[in-house]
Amino acid sequence: MLVSWNILKTLVQCGSDIGKVCERLTETGSEVESVTRPGKKLSGVRIGKIREIEAHPAKSSLFVAKLDLGGEDAQCVTAATNLSNGDVVAYAAPGATISDGTKMGIRDFDGVESFGMMLSAEELGVPEIGLEFGILRLPADAPLGANAVSYLGLDDVILDLSITPNRGDLLSHVGVARELYALFDDAVFTSPRIERRSDNGEWPIPFKGVFIEDAGCPGYSLGLIRDVRIAPSPIDFRVALTLLGMRPISNIVDATNYCMLLFGQPQHAFDLDTLPDREITVRAAKDKEPILTLDGKMRTMSSSDLLITSGGVPIGVGGVMGGGDSEISDKTRNVVLESAGFVSQRVSTTSRRLGIRSEAAFRFARGVDPELMDPTLSYTLSLIESWKAGNAFPTVVRAVSKIREPKKVSLTKSKMQTILHWSDLSEAGRILGRLGIRRSESDDGSCTYVIPSYRADISIEEDLIEEVARIRGYNDMPSRLPQTFHERGDAGAVTRTQFDLRACAIGRGYVEVVTYAFVSSEAVARLRFPKDDARGKPVKLANPISSDQSDMRTTLLPGLMNALSKSLAAGWRDPVRIFEQGRVFLGDGENREEREQCAGLVFPGRDFKSPYGQSEREDFFSIKGDVIALLSCRGYEAEFRQGSEPFGHAGQTADILLNGERIGWLARLKPAIEREMDYGAPVYAFEFECAPLIEKRRPSFTEIPAYPAVYRDISLLVPCAIPVSTVMEQIRASAAELLWDLRIFDVYQGKGIPEGMRSLAFSLSYRNAKRTLTEEESDEVNNIVRAKLSEKGYILR
Amino acid sequence: MTDLERHIQDIRMAFSEEIAAAETLENLDSLRVRFLGKKGEVTSLLKGLGALPPDERPRAGQFVNLLRDELEEQIRTRKDSLEEKELERLEREDHIDVTLPPRGRTGGGFHPVVETSREIIEIMAGLGFSVALGPEIEDDFYNFEALNIPPSHPARDMQDSFYFPDGKVLRTHTSPVEVRAMRAHGAPIRIVVPGKVYRRDSDPTHSPMFHQLEGLMVDTDVSIADLKGCLGALMNAFFDRPLAARYRGSYFPFTEPSLELDIECIECSGKNPSCRICKGTGWLEVAGLGMTHPDVLRAGGIDPTRYTGFAWGMGLDRMAMLKYGLTDLRVLFEGNVPYLLSGRNRSC
Repeated sequence: MLVSWNILKTLVQCGSDIGKVCERLTETGSEVESVTRPGKKLSGVRIGKIREIEAHPAKSSLFVAKLDLGGEDAQCVTAATNLSNGDVVAYAAPGATISDGTKMGIRDFDGVESFGMMLSAEELGVPEIGLEFGILRLPADAPLGANAVSYLGLDDVILDLSITPNRGDLLSHVGVARELYALFDDAVFTSPRIERRSDNGEWPIPFKGVFIEDAGCPGYSLGLIRDVRIAPSPIDFRVALTLLGMRPISNIVDATNYCMLLFGQPQHAFDLDTLPDREITVRAAKDKEPILTLDGKMRTMSSSDLLITSGGVPIGVGGVMGGGDSEISDKTRNVVLESAGFVSQRVSTTSRRLGIRSEAAFRFARGVDPELMDPTLSYTLSLIESWKAGNAFPTVVRAVSKIREPKKVSLTKSKMQTILHWSDLSEAGRILGRLGIRRSESDDGSCTYVIPSYRADISIEEDLIEEVARIRGYNDMPSRLPQTFHERGDAGAVTRTQFDLRACAIGRGYVEVVTYAFVSSEAVARLRFPKDDARGKPVKLANPISSDQSDMRTTLLPGLMNALSKSLAAGWRDPVRIFEQGRVFLGDGENREEREQCAGLVFPGRDFKSPYGQSEREDFFSIKGDVIALLSCRGYEAEFRQGSEPFGHAGQTADILLNGERIGWLARLKPAIEREMDYGAPVYAFEFECAPLIEKRRPSFTEIPAYPAVYRDISLLVPCAIPVSTVMEQIRASAAELLWDLRIFDVYQGKGIPEGMRSLAFSLSYRNAKRTLTEEESDEVNNIVRAKLSEKGYILR
Repeated sequence: MTDLERHIQDIRMAFSEEIAAAETLENLDSLRVRFLGKKGEVTSLLKGLGALPPDERPRAGQFVNLLRDELEEQIRTRKDSLEEKELERLEREDHIDVTLPPRGRTGGGFHPVVETSREIIEIMAGLGFSVALGPEIEDDFYNFEALNIPPSHPARDMQDSFYFPDGKVLRTHTSPVEVRAMRAHGAPIRIVVPGKVYRRDSDPTHSPMFHQLEGLMVDTDVSIADLKGCLGALMNAFFDRPLAARYRGSYFPFTEPSLELDIECIECSGKNPSCRICKGTGWLEVAGLGMTHPDVLRAGGIDPTRYTGFAWGMGLDRMAMLKYGLTDLRVLFEGNVPYLLSGRNRSC
C-alpha cells in the first residue's frame, strides 16, 4: 500500500517526523518497506509563462521561447512543437536539476543561447501525467515564478506499507491517518469533509432501482452524474495518482480511484446509456455464464461469483472488475457510480479463480468498512462536480440486504494480566478509545467495548489485548524464562538416531546433503523397478511446479544420483561421498507411509590417482565398512548377503540385514545406469530404514582375557560359489567355544588354483577363559576344525 | 717389566688403535674375533699361562683377565655407540616428506540446515522443549482449518500449495504438528517441530521445499514474557553472543496477539548502511510468533479458558544462511559437493 505523506498531512497532524512515524508503524504491525521521495533530484524548477515563442532564426526544427517567471525573464530553445504564446510551463533555469539528475546550463543553438530548458512530463519524472507529446503544459492559473515541484505535488514522500491481511482498514489514507492518531498521543485527526447526499429521491432520468438478490452484497448505492465532460483530471491529482501507483485515465475514473485511495472504498462507474436496462441487480452468476471484463477478456463465471447485471445482462463482476460493454468512454454523457459492499470470501474466491488481482478485489478480499459506501460516494460526486466534469445529482439510489449490529467484545483484567503481565484497564481503555473502540459497560474486572465497523478483524478478547499490546509496544514488556519445568526436553529417539548416524557418516568422510523430496518420473523410471515394487509407483503431485519435481520420492537414491551429477557438472573430479537422511513416501491412500531412510552414495572420482596407489580408491568394500559403522553407532551389527536390486549391479549387490531382517541394500549401480548418467566410474550406494535402529543398543563390556591365546592358520580351497560368510560360520560351528577370534587374511583365485575354486586363508585364535590353553589342546581343536572343513569337501592346504 | 707385561702392553696398544678405526659393527666383530675369539690374541695369552712357573701364574692370570675384561668392555661400549649411530643413519634414511597429503579419505561435512536444526533442538531441549514430528503429506484439516485458516484464505490457493489428487496437501508449514501434538499429549506441553515444508514458489529466495522449526508451549501461566525469554535465549545461544532484539506487531491466523522478531544484524550490528545482510536496516527478521489463538488451542483439544500458549516459527534455511554466511537458498538442496565443502577442505 503506497501512502502519500502530503495527503496524510491533511488528515492527521502530529509532532513526529517521517522517520518516527515509520518506526511506529513498523513496530505496531504495518511494516514500512520503503520511503521514497519521487522529486528528490528536482531542484530549481519554476513555473513560467510563454510570453512569445517563435521559430529559430537559423534552424527550422527549433523554437525560441521568451518566458515570464513572474517578474523575471528567461529565454530558452526547444524542439517541442506543442507550445504557443500564453502557455504555462515548468522551467529549469541554469543550475537547476531535472529528474534524472542532469544539471542545467547555458547552451548555444546555432547562435541563440538557451538558458536551461522547459520540461516535459518525463523530465519531471512522471511521464504518466503527460497528455501530449512535447513540453508539459500547466494550468493557466499556475502561479508564475513559484516552485513547480511543490505546485505539482512532486515534493511528496511515498511510504510503502506492508499491510497485514487482517487490516483491510489500513488500505486507505484515512485508515492510516486514523491509525497514526492511535499511535501518537499528540496527533489530531481530521476526516475529509463530506456533503452527505440524501437517498431515494427522484432522478431526472427514469431509473427503476437497485435490487439485491444475493446476501454476498450487503449494500449497494448508486449515484448519478449528468452532462459528463470526459477530460483529464486536474494535474495535481494526476501526479498524486501516479505517485500512488495508479495510471491516470480520465476525470471520472480518476475520481473513483482517488477516492478509493483516500477512503478505501472501491467504486465503479458505468456509462448509463450503455446499460441494457434502467436498473441494476446484484445476483449470483449462473454456472458458465460469460462476461466481457473491461480488460478485454471473456470470463466464464461460476455460481459462487457475484454479478452486477442490468436487464439480466452481466455488466460487472461484483467487487472484482467492471464489464467491458459499459465502460466509460470519450462518448460517455451520463454516468452511474457504484459504491457497494461485497462479502470478502466471495470476492477473494472469485478473484483468485479468475486470476484478477485488481485494487478493488484486493480491498474487498481484506474487508471494506460497510459504512464507507455512502460517504465515499458523496465525496466522489462532489469531487467530480468540483472538477466541472459533470453535474452530480443530489440523491442516490440504494439497496441494503442486511442491517449490521455493532459488535461487542469484553476485556478482562485477569486475561490481560496473564498474557501481558500488565492489567491497567483504564489505560487500556484510553488506548482502545484512540483506536475508535469505545467502552460501553464496565465493572471491576472487565470492560465491554463496541467495535467500530471498520475493524471487522476484532472479535475476541485476545484481539483487544493485541491492540493494547501493540500500541503500548512489545519491546518494553518484561521477558522471563518459563517458571515451571514439567520434564526435561528430549530430542526424541528418531531425531537422536539421525544425529548419531550423521555424526558417524560425517566422521567417515561423507558430505551431508539435503535433496528435494520430489523427483522426476524419469529419475524413478531409470531405476527399473518391476511392476510389483511399490518404489516404482510414486505418489504424484496434482500441481507440480515442474516436471523435474512431479513425484514424491520412494527412495533417496535419485536425489543422491542427481547430487552427484550436479557435483560432476560443477567440475568436481575427486571422490564423492554423500549421504542423506529423509523421508520416502510409499503407498497410497490408507496405506500411505512416510518412512525415515538413511542413504549414501560414493563415487571413486574421475581418473582417480593417489600418491599411495590404487588401494586408496573407493570400492564396494570401503562403503561396506561405512554401513557397518553406521549400524554399529546405534549398537547393531550389520550382516550382509548376496542380494539383488533392479538398479544394482547383478554381481555386486548385497542385502543389509539386522538380526536376520532385511533393512536395506548396498550395491554398485547397474553399469547401464552408470553409463546413462555418464558418470565415468563405478558408483556405489546404500540405503536403509532408520526405524530398526531407533532403539539404541548399549554395548556391554567384558573383562580383559587373563590367559593367552594360541594362533593357528588354516588355508583351504573352496568352490567359488560358497560365500566366505558360510565358511566362517562352518569354522565357528566346528570350533565351538574355544575359538576366540576368526579372521580371513587371504583370498586368492587364479593361477595355480583349480578352475571354479578359490583359496581362502584364515587366522584362528583359540583361548580358554579360565586357564592357559596348552599347545596340545589347541592342536586338538584345530584338527577337529580341519577335519570338519575337509568333510565339507574343501581341500586343506 | 716381564715379557708378559710387555706383551699385554702391546696388545692393549694395538687394540686401542684398531678399535678407534672400527667404523662398522663388522669391523668391530672381526676385532673381537682377533683379540678375544677362540684363537684370539688374548685367548692364546691365557692358554700360554700354563707354560709359566706355578708361582707366577696367579699374578699373570690376573693381568690377562684384566686385559680381557678391559677389551670386552671397550668392545661393548664401541658396539653400543656404533649401533646407535647405525639407527640414527637409518632414521635419516627413512626420512619422509611430512607435507604429503594424508592417506585415506578427506573430511566430510555437515549440511548447514541440518546442523542448524540440531543446534536449535539442543538449545531448546535445555529449556524443556521436546521434539515432535508429523507427516509431510497432511490433511487439509491440520494444515489449514485447525490453524484458523479459512477456505477463502489466500494460503489455500492452488498457486501456493502442492496438492495431491486425493485432496491431501504437502504441509505448507510445520504448524499442523502443533495441533497433532496437542491432541496426542494435551497440556502442559512444550515442543519444537523441525522439518521440511513445501510451497509452490521457486526463485533465488524461494525454494519449493524448505525447512522450518516451530515451537509451542502451553501451560497455565504462559505470557508474552515467556515467549520473549525463550526466543531471546534461543537467538543468543544460536549466534553465540547477546543480540539486541526488536519485537513488532504482526498478523498470523493462528496466533493472537501476533508478533515478529527482528534481531540485530549479525554482520554489521546496524553500523553499515550498505550491509548486504540487513540491507542497511540494522535488523534481521528471524521469526514469526505470538500467543496461540484460542481456536487453535480448542482444535488441539485444550481448554483456552484454563491454558494459554505461545508459538513461534522460523525458517531454518534462513537461520543457516545467516549463521554460515550462505547467499543462495536453492543451491542448498542440489547436493552440490563443491558448494557444500566450500567452507572447508580447501586444497589450494
